[in-house]
Amino acid sequence: MSAGGAVLLETTGMSRAFGGLKAVDNVSFALREGIVTALVGPNGAGKTTLFNLITGHLDPNAGDVTWLGKSIKGVPHWKIARSGIGRTFQDLKLFDQMTVQENVQTVTERGAWLWQPGGKAGLAERRARAEHALAAVRLADRRHARAVDLAYAERKFLSVARILASGARLWLLDEPASGLDPGSYERFVTLVRDQLRHGITVCIIEHNLDIVKGISDRIAFLDQGRLLADGDPASILADPALAAIYFGERAA
Amino acid sequence: MLAYLNNLAVLISINAILAVTLNFVLGYAGIFSLAHAVFFGVGAYTSALVAMKLGGGFLLSTAAAMAASALISLALALPALRVRGEYFVAASLGLQMLALTVFSEWKVVTGGIGGISNIPPARFPGFEISSPAQYLVLALGCLALVMLVVALLVRSSFGRSLKAIRDDETAASAFGKNVAVIKTIAVAVSSALAAVAGSLYAFYLSFVNVESFTLDTSVYLMAMVIIGGTATLVGPVVGAVLILLLPAALSYLPGLPQTEVGSIQQIVYGLAMVLLMIFRPGGLWGFRDQSRGDR
Repeated sequence: MSAGGAVLLETTGMSRAFGGLKAVDNVSFALREGIVTALVGPNGAGKTTLFNLITGHLDPNAGDVTWLGKSIKGVPHWKIARSGIGRTFQDLKLFDQMTVQENVQTVTERGAWLWQPGGKAGLAERRARAEHALAAVRLADRRHARAVDLAYAERKFLSVARILASGARLWLLDEPASGLDPGSYERFVTLVRDQLRHGITVCIIEHNLDIVKGISDRIAFLDQGRLLADGDPASILADPALAAIYFGERAA
Repeated sequence: MLAYLNNLAVLISINAILAVTLNFVLGYAGIFSLAHAVFFGVGAYTSALVAMKLGGGFLLSTAAAMAASALISLALALPALRVRGEYFVAASLGLQMLALTVFSEWKVVTGGIGGISNIPPARFPGFEISSPAQYLVLALGCLALVMLVVALLVRSSFGRSLKAIRDDETAASAFGKNVAVIKTIAVAVSSALAAVAGSLYAFYLSFVNVESFTLDTSVYLMAMVIIGGTATLVGPVVGAVLILLLPAALSYLPGLPQTEVGSIQQIVYGLAMVLLMIFRPGGLWGFRDQSRGDR
């Protein structure tokens, strides 16, 4: 466990409502470099909405997000992605009809025109990145299978391979471990820990508190769109009031 | 008989070019356009005009046709591709209707309903294409070239971006793809290549008029792609061959009165679509392709 390095990303007073429902309500928190921050909270707490606000898939009603010291509010989400913020999705959103290899290859290719910049060196670098990602999740020998034909755990790992190949510096992972068997889960944790040593920063949405305990350096606790606590895992998980909220015994 | 077959083969090649280029946006990018006949038409008119007014040969006329078609496609793509799929279908239908009116009413340029006739034969530096057999070679050559360009694009990073957008637009943009620009380029490339078919058509028939570029044409092209197999290279060509051979085959069917061919044809199309949806949803060629890729 570590307190983490400098602040990479920070939200201040972030709010977003859908009709009368305040999905995210005045949330200010920071993601520090080199650690795993877990976003926990009951269903509907606003965790995924917060991800969507950070990545620009949703516009906030109020508040600001800064990334590497600069505001990224209102920046198109593809530009935010290119600046180094990557994410996975709860429903994975793989490119289903493409092969495993193409799924990984295409995220290394960001140029919109008919060719990619960087010439031969760029091509070699992108290839190496894709190969590395495939090897890291042990999908290299499934490279010609279509994503839709993979088994469940393989699909989960492909979504991780995609974010790894994309070269993102900040990984926003939306329930990456749900439904994984213990063996796959161990592999997943090892992979994330390994990548942390290579300079990435992770923010993970997770329901399973055992997993949260095992992987996170810091916990941000959301409920009904509000940030209730933000601190080291031991003290947050020991707080009986938060446990009561998490397990549904809401105090009046 | 030989002349008849030659004519049929040229028309099949031209339609195959259109189907292949429509498939580029429909099959690989998931963009459902009902305006493909417009780009065919713009190509044909532009090529005819450049040949007649400026004395352009095949290459110059076709290049002008491609440029004009790509430009007009931007008028559709720039506003319409910023929104999601259904709106593009509606917008493309709108463009198809609008273009039809322009083709039939802008008499100074398009010759109105009467069209443009006496288009000179296709000239190349040093020789002139005049016989139907030569046109067949030219048409097949153009088809091969268009298929090559599409095949290269599909296998390139651009093709992967298109497929990624088709499979999941949200994820594609979450990985840094500028979806609107990529789709716009795809539509422009597809329209420019469709204009090659238009140019061939104008030179081959030495006559163009609005009737070849109606919504019916757009729908037939859509049928070719879907019957043949979306997102495959050969599928649209197979579709074009089948759809053009069908009326020919029916008219040679013994015991079928010529006056009934039209309505029987519609029944066969409808039946074929329904059967395909049930038994081979990937199209005739698509099924093959997938089974080869995975098992």
